[in-house]
Amino acid sequence: MLRDRRKSRLLLALSGLLVCALTSVTTAQDSAAPRKKVLVLYWDSKDFPGNVSFDQGFQASLNSDPSIKLDLYSEYLDSQRFPGERQTELLYEYLLGKYSGQKIDVVVATPDPALSFLLKYRKHLFANTPIVFVAVQRPALETLTAGAGLTGIIRANTQRRTLDLALKLHPQTKDVFVISGTPEHDKRFENISREELAGYESRIRLNYLTDLSVSDLVERVKSLPRDSIILYVWQRTPVEEEKLLQTYQVLEKVRQAAPVPIYGMGSRNVGYGIVGGYVQDSERNGLETADIVRRILSGTPTQSIPVDSASSVPMFDWRELQRWGISESSLPSGSVVRFKELTLWEQYKWRIIGLATLIAVQTLIIALLLAERRQRRLAKEALDRLNAELETRIEQRTAALNAKSRELETFAYSVAHDLKAPLRGIDGYSRLLLEDYAGRLEGEGENFLQIIQRSTDEMNQLIDDLLAYSRFERRELHTGKIELAPIVTSLVEEKRREAARSIDFVVDVNGGTVLADASGLSQSLRNYLDNAVKFTRNVDQPRIEIGTKEDADTCVIWVRDNGIGFDMKYHDRIFDIFQRLGATEDYPGTGIGLAIVRKAMERMGGRAWAESHPGAGATFYLEIPR
Amino acid sequence: MNQLETGPIRPILLVEDRPIDIDLTRRAFERQKVLNPLLVARNGEEAIAFFDRWDAGEPLPICILLDLRMPKINGLEVLRRLKSHPKFSTIPVVVLTTSTEDRDVEEAYKLGCNSYIVKPVEFDKFVDVAAKIELYWCAINRPLS
Repeated sequence: MLRDRRKSRLLLALSGLLVCALTSVTTAQDSAAPRKKVLVLYWDSKDFPGNVSFDQGFQASLNSDPSIKLDLYSEYLDSQRFPGERQTELLYEYLLGKYSGQKIDVVVATPDPALSFLLKYRKHLFANTPIVFVAVQRPALETLTAGAGLTGIIRANTQRRTLDLALKLHPQTKDVFVISGTPEHDKRFENISREELAGYESRIRLNYLTDLSVSDLVERVKSLPRDSIILYVWQRTPVEEEKLLQTYQVLEKVRQAAPVPIYGMGSRNVGYGIVGGYVQDSERNGLETADIVRRILSGTPTQSIPVDSASSVPMFDWRELQRWGISESSLPSGSVVRFKELTLWEQYKWRIIGLATLIAVQTLIIALLLAERRQRRLAKEALDRLNAELETRIEQRTAALNAKSRELETFAYSVAHDLKAPLRGIDGYSRLLLEDYAGRLEGEGENFLQIIQRSTDEMNQLIDDLLAYSRFERRELHTGKIELAPIVTSLVEEKRREAARSIDFVVDVNGGTVLADASGLSQSLRNYLDNAVKFTRNVDQPRIEIGTKEDADTCVIWVRDNGIGFDMKYHDRIFDIFQRLGATEDYPGTGIGLAIVRKAMERMGGRAWAESHPGAGATFYLEIPR
Repeated sequence: MNQLETGPIRPILLVEDRPIDIDLTRRAFERQKVLNPLLVARNGEEAIAFFDRWDAGEPLPICILLDLRMPKINGLEVLRRLKSHPKFSTIPVVVLTTSTEDRDVEEAYKLGCNSYIVKPVEFDKFVDVAAKIELYWCAINRPLS
């Protein structure tokens, strides 16, 4: 807490010091640079366009210099509207009285009439103040060196340069019409032009349209020949009662009527009808004048600043250039082109580029998407074609397989039929022999015939089993819900009847159901039972159990006997066709029964397997879907 | 024996292409002392040929034992023609064949056979079959005159 308070106190003290320092610096600067007073004496009124442009350059330049504290005064020698010697006198008296107590540092005069006025009254008015002028007429040397100092810029006449430029842009020109006029009808501009343009007569005809009334002027310019141009110098004309048309307003009317291009020298006229010309730019004059004023204010002796020419620039009106089909490239270097109408492209270049880029990108994306879609479609078509081909091939293969299968069926059928016929012959005739010639056979003859009989039986059984197996393979499945108990009971009854001896059948089958092919299921169970009966034939008390166990999806049925059993290493082989484990004499069989069981189970989605130990009986299982 | 009728004894027609089977059938019937004469058609064509003879006035067989597998016209075709015949369709036909095929059994019954017997391989059983045929189709089934 204590430390914090000490710190803030220190900060307070420091900021106080800083404020003091800053204040003293500012005060020092103020005292070092006293305010300067500059008076500008304009010709014409405050609103005269040339004056406005001049002020733009002049004031902007001076105000941009922070080292000068300036008080600016403006006065107007409005001799156009207030002509006459008396008016001039009155202005003199007015200014003399107004500024008698003021120390003016620099007086600026623009243009010539303002300078003439100042020089006329110099002995009394601003006698000790240097004058900076903007004028057309260069003052005489003695005037320049007299008094408190006089310097400035000369607005050179640019009529020759402008005419040269016009003739270069319009080489076919034969006539040049020079327009000028003053309310006083004093032909002063014509005189200047005649002087200035002397020497051009050899190349072109110079025609002076001087001091014409606006209506006459308009009529006159309407009928100008094609191969001519207008050099518009200056014309201010009174129309009707007291209204005075400014030079640019006259120009506007000329421009509307003239069938030929107009050139001129005033920057103000650019925009009112002239194609262009070397113009004196008032704003630039203002800038240059301000430079001189600044130098004088900063102590440079006025006499040491030479009188310089005001710069003129080739300036054009873009719209007029367009009208006369003049390309910008044919203009002199450094030309200023005003009123340029930006083309849509120039105006919206970046937006257009952006939009075009966006569209291009979008187009590209769309193209890519389309290409991708096409590719995908092609791929899909290829895939479809391939699938169709595959389908066709599968169909062909299936048809071929079916044909093969039918062929095999016919084959099995024929084999059985054809094998049985001779078998019937063997059996039939051996039996006839045995019965009809019983007493007449010697030695083992009868025994042999009995062996023939037994062999025939065996072969018959084999053929039957094979037929059953093959029939099983091609039989159609009829899968349905089957109640287990009745089918098991009836099969057990059947076996009990068939068995030559008493067998203990233990049936423990509750009301379970399976999803199976009835014929396949009963054939499988029958074969299991046959097997159990067969392999318990040498057991003292044969016992066969039939049981079931169900879970959610399947039902397992088993047939357990207490017969001779088998080695578990053969547990799978016994289900293969023609695989027999017992000796034929002891346990006759064809080796097809269990193969039929497995086949039946495979076809109905079930499973068949067996477990056993030699001498410890065997258990045969069926697993069937529920 | 079992011949209760007073008229001439009508024959049994055996349609069978195997000489051994013909012989064994004949012997089996002999064992059973069947008196009906045994006529034999050795194939389907010969069986059909009997139609003309019956039309000409020969006595109709009391029953026909018909093998199915035979060259040229097979047994099922013979059965079809018999059973669709206006006059002979009433003659009992016992199919006696090796075939245990379901479709043969079905087809034979569909065409109108009266009995379907699978030829046993053992001669003893064959003799039993002969006895049963004689009993069912020759003695009991004989129309009373």
